[in-house]
Amino acid sequence: MDWAQLWEIAAKPDNIPIVALLVLIPFFTWYGFRQALANDRLIARLENDKELAKTHNRKLEPYREEWDQKVYVWPYLLRVEFFVAIVVTVILMIWSITLNAPLEEPANPNLTMNPSKAPWYFLGLQEMLVYFDPWIAGVLMPTLIIVGLMVIPYIDLNPLGNGYYTFRQRKFAILTFLFGFMVLWLVMVFIGTFIRGPGWMWFWPGATWDHHRLIFETNRDLHEILGITSGQPWIGLVGATAVGLYVAVFGWLTHKLIVWNEFNRKIYERMTLVQYLTLQTFLVVMWALPVKILLRLLFRVKYVMVTPWFNI
Amino acid sequence: MSILRKRPRLEDRPVPEKDPITTSSLATPIAIFSLLLILTLVWALYDEILGLRPWIGYQRDFVKTYQKALVEMKPVRAQEEAAIYGSNEYQELEQALQEAETAIKPALAEIEQEERILGPKLTAITKPFTTARSRVQAAIYLLETANESSKASLEEDLQKLREGPYTVEIPEPDGSLVEKSYSYGEMEEEFNALKVKQGELQARTVELVRPSTQLRRELNTFASARLTSVTEAQVEGLLTRLDNFRVEIKQIYNADIGRVAANGQTPLVDRCESCHAGVREPVILTPETMGGNPLFASHSNRELLTIHDPETFGCTPCHNGNGVATVGVKEGHGNYKHWLWPLYPKAHFDAGCLQCHEADRHLELAPTLNAGKQLFSQRGCQGCHPREGFEPEPRLLRSVQKSILDLRLERNEVEQETQRTISTADRAETNEEADRLYNQADALTLNIADIDTQLDRLTVREADVMLEVKKVGPNLKEVKTKLKKEWIPVWISNPHDFRPTTKMPRFRLDEQQVQAVSAYIWQSGIDVELPQQSSGDPQQGEILFETRGCLACHSIGEESGATGGTFAANLSRVGEKANYDYLVRWIHNPKERTLPYCPIHQRDITPEDYASQGLPFQFDPQHAQCPLGDHLLQVQQPTVMPNLRLSWDESRDVASYLMMQAHEDAAYPDAEYLDDSNLAKQGQALVKHFGCAGCHEISGFENEGKIGTDLTKEGSKPIERLDFGLLTTQAKQEGWYNAKGFFDRKLADPSVWDQGKVKEPLERLRMPNHELSSEEINQLTTFLLGSVESVIPTTHHYAPDDDREEIQKGWWLVAKYNCMACHQFSPGQETVLENLPLYQDPDSRDQLPPSLVGEGARVNPNWLSRFLRNPALSETDTNRNGVRPYLKARMPSFGLSDGEIQQLVRFFNALSKQPLPYTAVPPDPLSSQELTMARELFTHQAAPCLRCHATGDAATDADSSAPNFLLVPERLRSDWTKRWIVHPETIRPGTNMPSGLFRQQDQRWVFGLADVPSLRSYTKDHAELMVRYMFQYTAGEQRRLTSR
Repeated sequence: MDWAQLWEIAAKPDNIPIVALLVLIPFFTWYGFRQALANDRLIARLENDKELAKTHNRKLEPYREEWDQKVYVWPYLLRVEFFVAIVVTVILMIWSITLNAPLEEPANPNLTMNPSKAPWYFLGLQEMLVYFDPWIAGVLMPTLIIVGLMVIPYIDLNPLGNGYYTFRQRKFAILTFLFGFMVLWLVMVFIGTFIRGPGWMWFWPGATWDHHRLIFETNRDLHEILGITSGQPWIGLVGATAVGLYVAVFGWLTHKLIVWNEFNRKIYERMTLVQYLTLQTFLVVMWALPVKILLRLLFRVKYVMVTPWFNI
Repeated sequence: MSILRKRPRLEDRPVPEKDPITTSSLATPIAIFSLLLILTLVWALYDEILGLRPWIGYQRDFVKTYQKALVEMKPVRAQEEAAIYGSNEYQELEQALQEAETAIKPALAEIEQEERILGPKLTAITKPFTTARSRVQAAIYLLETANESSKASLEEDLQKLREGPYTVEIPEPDGSLVEKSYSYGEMEEEFNALKVKQGELQARTVELVRPSTQLRRELNTFASARLTSVTEAQVEGLLTRLDNFRVEIKQIYNADIGRVAANGQTPLVDRCESCHAGVREPVILTPETMGGNPLFASHSNRELLTIHDPETFGCTPCHNGNGVATVGVKEGHGNYKHWLWPLYPKAHFDAGCLQCHEADRHLELAPTLNAGKQLFSQRGCQGCHPREGFEPEPRLLRSVQKSILDLRLERNEVEQETQRTISTADRAETNEEADRLYNQADALTLNIADIDTQLDRLTVREADVMLEVKKVGPNLKEVKTKLKKEWIPVWISNPHDFRPTTKMPRFRLDEQQVQAVSAYIWQSGIDVELPQQSSGDPQQGEILFETRGCLACHSIGEESGATGGTFAANLSRVGEKANYDYLVRWIHNPKERTLPYCPIHQRDITPEDYASQGLPFQFDPQHAQCPLGDHLLQVQQPTVMPNLRLSWDESRDVASYLMMQAHEDAAYPDAEYLDDSNLAKQGQALVKHFGCAGCHEISGFENEGKIGTDLTKEGSKPIERLDFGLLTTQAKQEGWYNAKGFFDRKLADPSVWDQGKVKEPLERLRMPNHELSSEEINQLTTFLLGSVESVIPTTHHYAPDDDREEIQKGWWLVAKYNCMACHQFSPGQETVLENLPLYQDPDSRDQLPPSLVGEGARVNPNWLSRFLRNPALSETDTNRNGVRPYLKARMPSFGLSDGEIQQLVRFFNALSKQPLPYTAVPPDPLSSQELTMARELFTHQAAPCLRCHATGDAATDADSSAPNFLLVPERLRSDWTKRWIVHPETIRPGTNMPSGLFRQQDQRWVFGLADVPSLRSYTKDHAELMVRYMFQYTAGEQRRLTSR
């Protein structure tokens, strides 16, 4: 275990936000879920107890009947926000006094730094480049992420769960978010920061980042694994079949998810075809990322589909 | 472990009585965090004002310690001053000054009196006169430019103006005013007369005060030359200055010298003096005087600062570091990962010189760097590693040879073209056409003549450069005649075992490889029989070896018993390896080759080759033509070892002595395998792989390139490009992951970066081990650290285009031929010879080779180039010193090329600031009367010149201690000769030449040792007379004098 190496990575001023992220994201996820689950239980109780529902004046736990049903933003909300603003300012002040901007030497066009890493918030994107064509990972996927975030209001037909913490009423949305943000995005940022060393090789945390390390690693295209060497268009067709198969299987799985329970089915019935297809498309593409990561890391598959124009 | 205990759900926990949202108070946390916020603000302010400005504290400390030091210093300074002012000499000077001042007082008073009369008169007349003059001049102008009609009237006006009258009130000495009336002309005359008078008075004053002014100057320099530091008054001034010391960023700004990078130039901003406040103080501050704090010490070398004014050069251009940063020591010194120019460590300060002084081989104030460069070339680093400036000759030779080939091709083409043109002309249809073509052919013929001239010039140059090409190691083509066979593998396997100080490094070869390399070297050698030599007298040889100057370069004796120079091999065990016959020939003339090498045929030219062309087998610089074609041969050994011009007998004596230099029990195992041709084949590949030809001439490898990394810019290689191998992590953790760490360790153990690596034998690092001492490593590292891509604008590089350039170039030659081992080039420089036991006896100091300080001012450059070409100054009698036959040490023949000779001559001239070309001005010939007087002086009993100066008579020359006068006319410069006979002691302290031969009398030099009756009536300069005599001194004159 090379603690010095681990410390070097963790203590880099560049990486402070990521180290903070590793603590803060789980904490706030837990904190939000604690409230959400308590509220869910309250909702269940009120649904079962109509009488209680009439007198219960808050959607949040804990409560007492004599408490005000509503409170004003000022001072009750704003003072909390003010307090938080002070705390954050203190943290930022200490941070900026103790750590200088991580500036480096003037760029040398004759020398590429190794590993050559993007800023922490882009490390996820950079990690994607390992698994996909630069065109897909660098252009298509980021565009889809942004467009996908933009279409959420238009395909989210769930009327419940606004203004309070709840998990039960927005299971689908919350799980999709957690999967997309925490599992895919943050894990990739983590890999990019802590695991990718010189030569963008895979170093488990605590391993020394040796610039001379050599590993045997051959990635092959799917058609090579299948032993198809007859050239195009067969190679393309094999890939298209595999992609088609993936779309069929994951489209079906996604559909199963969309119609998982009674509540989901109700929402599904309210969807137009365009809304449904949009949702399907984004989700199927999103699933493709972890699928490809696993294919690459476990089976060393380079591309599933190889065409003269693009590779997947 | 309460955190792991199952906690009740949120809704199951006890509910508080009151609504926490409306009733709880956030006041306490807000108050606490507000306080924290204020504290962070205070922290930020502290950081901004003091934390990030450590120099504020430093400057305050500096003022305090400096004040204390100054106060302590004051009485000491006062004491020293008092001692100087109280000294007899000073008092005498002061007395003399007072006397001189008193003596001129009456005369001065008189002048003052006259001035008092003259002054008011001049004042009174000046204004009216200048007014009148303006008017007259304006009237003249009007007249000149007027048209004819008005000329008459204007002329009249002018006439009136000239006539005046002008009335001026002239004050008289008694104070009364006398009214005088002048015409313009009279007034002008009067004015000019007064002016002349005033000038005369002033001139008289100057003349009068000249002696006292001179004395005052002497008085002042007397004090300032003896004061070791500032005066008491200056200390007082410094203290006052400190009282008004402003704590602020001390910054040097210069837009002209900042770093040049791809994106342009950054102005130089050096704030180093914000902390190092005492760097430029007039008082020399040591850490001791500054309370043990090295931070406040002044610059360790004032001279450097005088040459490189900090206002112009700043600090970081020499020292590196981050001159802008003021937040801390680490930042300011640039000792962090991303600063590309960290401060040079103290041991490597000299490295900073190289950025601008790349062209300098020798820098007076950079001894470590000089030593590094010396090591680099002496140890043969440049044999493998290209490095700009080092060993430029082979490259130059190749380019000259290529130019010659190109020109020859061009000549052929032009010739063919000419033939074609002529034949076309012959068949031309019209006469005009034929004429035109013939003209064209003529032009082409001219062109050929032009090419021939160029070819001639280049061929001369080629011959020149061929003489200049040297190799660090010996020529291995001659191993068969030179060496004992069995010794070779022993030597190759570890040269340091046999000769610990050798420059031949140890290659990491296994036994089989050693045998293979030895076999190739042996078999590639030339097979010739050398003439057998009879044995010599080793005792005589020892004397010759010790006295002729061999020890200037070579050493003898093992380990601590070694004496002599380190430039060439230690010869303690040379008898174990060498063949006597070869050694004799080598000592007799090291430049002599067994066979000449032809660069065009790429092989050695044999006697058969000469015979096939019906030519005698003769090759030397005068007979360098290849018998097989029209090109030059390499006819000399590429060695810097000079020819000492010993006779064959002497050579045999020295060789016999050297053959005795062997361990008695020396025995070497049989090495029959050296004749195995299969082994030799393997050896050939190894010789190529390990780059043996970088230092040695080896058959088949004459054109071999260098195998190592180019080191010209090695110091600015990014650290990522320096391969620390498996030690990278360790280097980073232990803090030596930097260029210095790399160079230091690589030089100490060149295989270090292979540690732990699994590599095929021939993939391993090839650099051999030179067994460098830590001091040598330090010097080489300094040189490498300094070898950088310069970021200083070229305008600030030291690249003079005047005399100083000749000095720069000359030092490369001086170093190449190790001239400094025998001769002194600058005052204070020690030579190898003067430290030898032989010369420790004060009487034997006369036997040291002459110092060359001021050589350029002393000798005629034309003579010097003749002397350098042949130091014997004779074609027939070569076994002698041409100038100083009495010296046992021999000025050898270096076989210099014409270019090198010219370079050295220009170097000496430039060192002495003598202009070139030099035109000798022969002194006036003597009249017969003067000749008689001069002879008398020359042979006067009080100073008979020929008692010490050589005359060319072997019997007396053995005791002489000065050069022959016959050389004077062509050798010396007359101005220097006069200075020399008058003041020899100031030109060459410690010389045998007596001082005080002449004394000054009435603005001239007269013979000072005796009263010579015949010269009493001679009013001219006696020293001048001697010089004139010496410059017409002939052999006949000498015979005449010696026969008396």
